[in-house]
Amino acid sequence: MSVLAARGLTVEARRRGGAVPVLRGINFTVEPGQVLGLVEEAGAGAAVVGRAVAQRLPPGLAMVHGSLSFLGAELMAMPADEMRGLLGREIAFLPPSPLAALHPARTVGAQLEAHLRRLGVARRELRAKAVAALAGVGVAEAVLGRLPHHLSQEQCQLVLVAMAFAGAPKLVVAEEPTAALDAAAQGRVLAAIQALRRAQGAAMLLITRDLLLAGAICDELAVMTGGDIVEIGPAASVLRAPRHPYTSSLLLATPPMRGARPDLYLLPEPAAGERALAGVAGCRFAPRCPVRAEYCLRTEPPLEGDAHRSACIRPGLVPTIVAQGEVPPPPWRPVGEVPVLALEGVGKAVTTGPAWRRETVAAVHDISLRITPGEFVAVVGEEGCGASLLARLAAGLEQPAAGRIMLAGVDVSVDAASARQQHAATVQMVFDEAQAALTPWRRVSDIVTEALAVRQSRSRVRETRARQLLAEMGMPLALGVRLPGQLGEAQRRRVALARALCGEPKLLVADGLFDGLDAPAQADLLGLLLRLRHRLDFALLLVCRDLAVARHLCERVLVMHQGAIVEDGLADTVFGWPRHEATKALLAGSPR
Amino acid sequence: MMRFLRRYLWPRWVRSGRVLLGLLSVLAVLAIAVVAPVLAPHDPLAQDLSLTLRPIELRGVYPLGTDGLGRCVLSRLMFGARAAVLVALPAALGALLLGGGLGLAAGWLGGRVERAVGWLAAAWVAFPPVVLALLLVAGGSGVAMAAMLSAWPLFCRVLRAELQAVAGRGHVAAALMLGFPRGQVLWREVVPAVLPAALALLAWVAAGAVGLEAVLAFLDLGGAPDRLSWGRMLADGWEVVFLAPINLVAPGVVLFSVMAGLALLGDGLRGTMGLALPEARLADDAMAGDGP
Ligand code: SF4
Repeated sequence: MSVLAARGLTVEARRRGGAVPVLRGINFTVEPGQVLGLVEEAGAGAAVVGRAVAQRLPPGLAMVHGSLSFLGAELMAMPADEMRGLLGREIAFLPPSPLAALHPARTVGAQLEAHLRRLGVARRELRAKAVAALAGVGVAEAVLGRLPHHLSQEQCQLVLVAMAFAGAPKLVVAEEPTAALDAAAQGRVLAAIQALRRAQGAAMLLITRDLLLAGAICDELAVMTGGDIVEIGPAASVLRAPRHPYTSSLLLATPPMRGARPDLYLLPEPAAGERALAGVAGCRFAPRCPVRAEYCLRTEPPLEGDAHRSACIRPGLVPTIVAQGEVPPPPWRPVGEVPVLALEGVGKAVTTGPAWRRETVAAVHDISLRITPGEFVAVVGEEGCGASLLARLAAGLEQPAAGRIMLAGVDVSVDAASARQQHAATVQMVFDEAQAALTPWRRVSDIVTEALAVRQSRSRVRETRARQLLAEMGMPLALGVRLPGQLGEAQRRRVALARALCGEPKLLVADGLFDGLDAPAQADLLGLLLRLRHRLDFALLLVCRDLAVARHLCERVLVMHQGAIVEDGLADTVFGWPRHEATKALLAGSPR
Repeated sequence: MMRFLRRYLWPRWVRSGRVLLGLLSVLAVLAIAVVAPVLAPHDPLAQDLSLTLRPIELRGVYPLGTDGLGRCVLSRLMFGARAAVLVALPAALGALLLGGGLGLAAGWLGGRVERAVGWLAAAWVAFPPVVLALLLVAGGSGVAMAAMLSAWPLFCRVLRAELQAVAGRGHVAAALMLGFPRGQVLWREVVPAVLPAALALLAWVAAGAVGLEAVLAFLDLGGAPDRLSWGRMLADGWEVVFLAPINLVAPGVVLFSVMAGLALLGDGLRGTMGLALPEARLADDAMAGDGP
């Protein structure tokens, strides 16, 4: 009997204008011990499946037909207390943000023991069981006495993995379990999940936007778009020989880890809003499909095939969708230019830990680095490797405790006042979490021209510049009057980028610019940066979690480990022939 | 700033029942305080010893009756609003300026200033506010001053905490990077973000000041014994509660509703201010409307 079976699962959102389908009668099964990956670019529909399993749909959504059964028992009809008995025991969940899932003010040990207690472990065995559970995921016993925010994201997620598997569940629903993690931690967490899962014979439903990640650990893949499963089949077969244009374009939008750097495929427009989906006849992917034909608009293609099924009437044309060209080489530069940024023996310490046990650790030490004008450099490393601090030092948001920082040949570590001006003219930074990085009450056109507000330019000048910048970012001019909260995530990042580039800096520092974006949005932003590079001629220091993105965009890569640069070289060399353990760990965790 | 208010704060205020109710009661008290001389049927101090402790006669000469000295209860209530406003307004605004200013300066400048302000605020709140106010009033300061001096650490601490949460955000760092002077960054990026908390606190502190004034007047502290105030009316009404209960009930009800109104306003503001747009739906519109 299947562990989880969805038959005609239909979920609708009730809106003022009527009901809008979110899931349109999807079917899938998860067999015992199997891993099914649900992949969708924005993850909207796939995440709803996860919520439906927990019977906790977001407000406004309701399951209208179909069935969702767990080991033959219908989840829809199950009384609430029986459901509660199931969750956490038979069905376990892994959340995308581990830190938020743990209680911030209770020690990890207390939370783990409380969970074990609920599972029926006797009081005097609690401690031993908790230690054993942690050992099962490779976390030291000392962690038990700590509060979640004193741990790394990786440790928090491992603790949650230990909790999830403590009750020997039949099914684990994991929603983006590695979204908050760096590549090396991703590898270790996934390995821990897989080891426990295999040992206990548990099945898993993995909800993710990352097709390659899903491919690396799933037995079967279901690719969703617009509330439908458009392709489902054995993972290897779906990845190697996709039969739906959507799957194929997702794959082509993902930068490869080796070989040439092809131009990334750009899906023509962002996923249509729920509303636009309501009354479309024929194939709902047609507006974005590169190989659509007239007759695609007439009938809705059924999900067809044997083991590997796809909802496309022209699967034969899918292999013809290919990348058009290659990424152009970096612009030619004369040798011997003054570096735009030079760090000499830079060090800085930070204090961490609880108030009663403050520890001063050297966050970065003895960093020497030169970036020539126009050079694109990526910094990769594990959480806490010091890359973000390095970016803030380069941007002038932190002052070094030791060493010198030179911007375009001027030493900025001596005189703070002139240093600030030098910084503003030479370096700008793009921050992660674009939402908080944009002033929430300011219109987009005012945000992108903030640099002009410093000089108190006239509003007409600002308006004109705002239009230029929006056009350069490939955004519709109408968005100028919006507030950041009214934009999509990818658009917010463009606005942040536009604000930084408004004064045409010589160096752009970007921390986490690509984190948390799905493949099409990422491809779009990568293409944009490569185009802007040729037009505006700036250098880039990019702190990045995704190694493939780093390689696609930057010719040079730095690997940081425990506050020091341990590898520095051409991207292909560093990733092709890694020498340091840290690099090897990062590569091992990247599913490419 | 106006644009900021309109765009960022306004939309959800108007839809929140709590805010409307609170605003209504506050505006009513303000209006009555201003026009009391016109509106009041009698001189609130005029005694008519032949007509003491009249009961309620809505159509009569004394609509809410008279007190033990034959003074019109309704007129006294109206003039009492003035006392309340004259205490609450300066106390709340003064506490906002003093405490908010110190709190923001501490959070923004850091270092020694922060430590000094932190100590001062901590030492200050070591006294319970009412005891502090009693001491101050006994020492000869006005009631409004006493209320302000007991409330400023609240503003100081809350605004400093809010500032610390905001200061770490990207848009603040971005403004610094673009070369805005630090003072301007505070004004442009931080102050608007902490304003909701400040306004909510303003309402709460005003409620506290009204209450404090009543307590002090009830205890006959700080100010003339025959002043016009709801607290004084309560004290007077207390003595004649069995003969003419309206003398106790009327000021009690008014006092309660004004304080509750202010507290509701504060709660409502705290809950509804902030980015007021339904994000997902608008994002959908953006995609549907602007796609090629
Ligand atoms: S049915 Fe037509 S439009 Fe739909 S995916 Fe296949 S080729 Fe594209």
